[in-house]
Amino acid sequence: MKKSIIPACAMLALSLVVIAGSQTFLAPCAHEDGSLGACHWAGQALLGEGCLLAVLAAAALALKKERAGLYLAMIPSSILGICTPGGLIALCKAPTMRCRMLMRPAMIILFAAMLVVALTGWLLTRREAR
Amino acid sequence: MGASRLPFKNLLRKPGRTAALLLLTALLAAAVFGGSLVIGSLRSGLDSLEARLGADIIVLPSSAESKVSFKNILLQGTTGAFYMDASVLDQVRAAQGVEIAAPQTFLASLKADCCAVKVQIIGIDPETDFIVKPWIDESYSHELGDMEVVVGCNVTAGVGETLKIYDQHTHVVARLAETGTGLDTAVYCSLDTMKKLLAAAEAKGVTHQISSDTDDLISAVYVKVKDGWDVGLVNTWLNGHVRKVTAVRARSMFTDVSDSLAGISRAVTGLIGAVWALALIVLLIAFAMMIHERRREFAVLRLLGVSRRGLRAEILAETGLCSLAGALLGVGIAAAGVFPFTTLIETRLGLPYLTPSAVTVLRLASVTLLATLLVGGVAGAWAAARLSRVDPGVALREGE
Amino acid sequence: MLKAESLSMRYFRKTGKANHFFAVHDVSLELRPGEVTLLTGRSGSGKTTLLHMLAGLLTPTEGKVWLGGTDLYVLPDKALSRLRREKIGVIPQSRSAIDTLTVLENVLLPAQLNGEKGDEQTAMRWLEALGIANLKDARPAELSGGELRRMAIARALAGGAEVILADEPTGDLDDENTAAALTLLRRAAEEDGKAVLLVTHDNEALRFGNRRFRMDGGRLYSDEQNARRFDAPELGKEC
Repeated sequence: MKKSIIPACAMLALSLVVIAGSQTFLAPCAHEDGSLGACHWAGQALLGEGCLLAVLAAAALALKKERAGLYLAMIPSSILGICTPGGLIALCKAPTMRCRMLMRPAMIILFAAMLVVALTGWLLTRREAR
Repeated sequence: MGASRLPFKNLLRKPGRTAALLLLTALLAAAVFGGSLVIGSLRSGLDSLEARLGADIIVLPSSAESKVSFKNILLQGTTGAFYMDASVLDQVRAAQGVEIAAPQTFLASLKADCCAVKVQIIGIDPETDFIVKPWIDESYSHELGDMEVVVGCNVTAGVGETLKIYDQHTHVVARLAETGTGLDTAVYCSLDTMKKLLAAAEAKGVTHQISSDTDDLISAVYVKVKDGWDVGLVNTWLNGHVRKVTAVRARSMFTDVSDSLAGISRAVTGLIGAVWALALIVLLIAFAMMIHERRREFAVLRLLGVSRRGLRAEILAETGLCSLAGALLGVGIAAAGVFPFTTLIETRLGLPYLTPSAVTVLRLASVTLLATLLVGGVAGAWAAARLSRVDPGVALREGE
Repeated sequence: MLKAESLSMRYFRKTGKANHFFAVHDVSLELRPGEVTLLTGRSGSGKTTLLHMLAGLLTPTEGKVWLGGTDLYVLPDKALSRLRREKIGVIPQSRSAIDTLTVLENVLLPAQLNGEKGDEQTAMRWLEALGIANLKDARPAELSGGELRRMAIARALAGGAEVILADEPTGDLDDENTAAALTLLRRAAEEDGKAVLLVTHDNEALRFGNRRFRMDGGRLYSDEQNARRFDAPELGKEC
């Protein structure tokens, strides 16, 4: 088994955690009045970014020739995920709100891990190609 | 490649074996650093609370809820409001052994919008207050004027902004440093400002739970006992002579907090000790197996003229490098798991929680590194000692 | 250059009626510069044990080993290891590569263990002479038994050692490579003045030696004199 497949497996696992987490254990809090705040949309954006990375990871597992390019695509996608909560999409102001306390730090760590995995995968694929 | 780079080559070119050893030492380091950080933060929080409290005795309304509410305000930042007549203050000041008695009045805000939290509003007497005033003075040296407020670090209003409380516009003049206690979500104002806010709250239908002929309401009196006087005796006198109040010694109010902290501390320390012992045993086994697996390689090195001491140095270099890398990785993992989630940990534990200073954190990280290197070093040294029992001649002949 | 005097290796183990047996018994031997000394014998006759004692790897129960006037076994381990590093090149019978190093790195290792950088050009010349220069960046796991054997020969010869102790160096080699390896060992003796001990079962090797000895039951015999025990008048010993 080529070593360059391993980061794709890790990426798939991490993106599944993001997908599941954004809707459950890492989701922002629901508003009492049923309205949807900015933090809800931040969660949805993270869900989308998680799905994108899952698809890229699955493709990297299946497509050998395109693997390096797919890893390269995962890099800016991961950076987008890091910038989303609290950066590109604002969250609640109070630091004790769930979106700030749990969702933001957890997602930043997950996407940072995915960035490292993507970089590793890209470097490994290039080395194998040589 | 110089021979001194042989340990690096051995580690880099056997990534599976190296990764397993790295992971093990990283887990050890993460447990030690993470656990120490949490304990250290809890201790810092408690110290901060005790420092902020400053009083010997706290006089509260005699209702059972007020004591619980007061503790929750300080520990968890939950809001509360309870009142007694302001005349209590004069009675307390008249008591023998009382050096200073400073009043505070509490009010809880309404939740303004879907993304806000309720804040605790605390009115202080700037002339006599010795609890909050010194702390405010660190950030704001002027007197608190009419409708001026100072906010705790977790209140989402910046300096210069307007904070609307019961439709009254207050002006934020300063922001306080973090304490790791519930006081971080409080807003501080003068007693005069508090009177206006109480009136506005009453207009909004918020009752003060006390029937009184006077508009002067206070929630707590902080007492500093004169030097040489027994705090217990003064406390007892206050309970016996001032009606409708409960006087509590400040220290005893948070005994259960200290006990909880001690319990958590013991549990975490026990966990760290167990992880440390387990890691040592597993590393001993792992390194012994590695030596056994590589005995032919070591026999070849002896054949090529590496002395026993040189072989031991080679093994210790490998185990040392592994331990160091694992320790750094573990500290990083623990830091990533603790620092970004400080607020969550504080909220879930319900105890004062204050991240220690950078110097303390660095000290904890250094101790973790040393502890991990020690475990790796002991395991490596034991493996190296076992190596001396390997006969190069016999090892070379294996598999012939 | 390398002289063994009444070497014995006794192992304490119950064998038959005795509590011990001699793997090597009262062996005296001299390896001279510029000569290839052949050593033959059945499996278990003590050849490899003798070789390890000559290499300073195995302390004899009796006897001495002298290298250039220095008694090997009175030296502390550090000094003995240094002597082995600088002056003795060993080609073991079994696989002896460091798996995490490339072929070239394995060949340069003896020099680097001595604190030198190692002469890559010299190392490459030996690899070319043994027909494995194209494998210089390969790892031992990728090599065949014969290629590993040739790497071990190159490592011993490239290190600048004065004494070469080769234990079945042609064991895994085909005829062509056997001839090449033996020629190189012979040349190392004749042209570079090394003292070479060649332990072998290979008939092809027999014509490459200046002197021949045979081991049987731990004792050394001159093979030129067939069944007669070796009478060592040069060393002043009576049998």
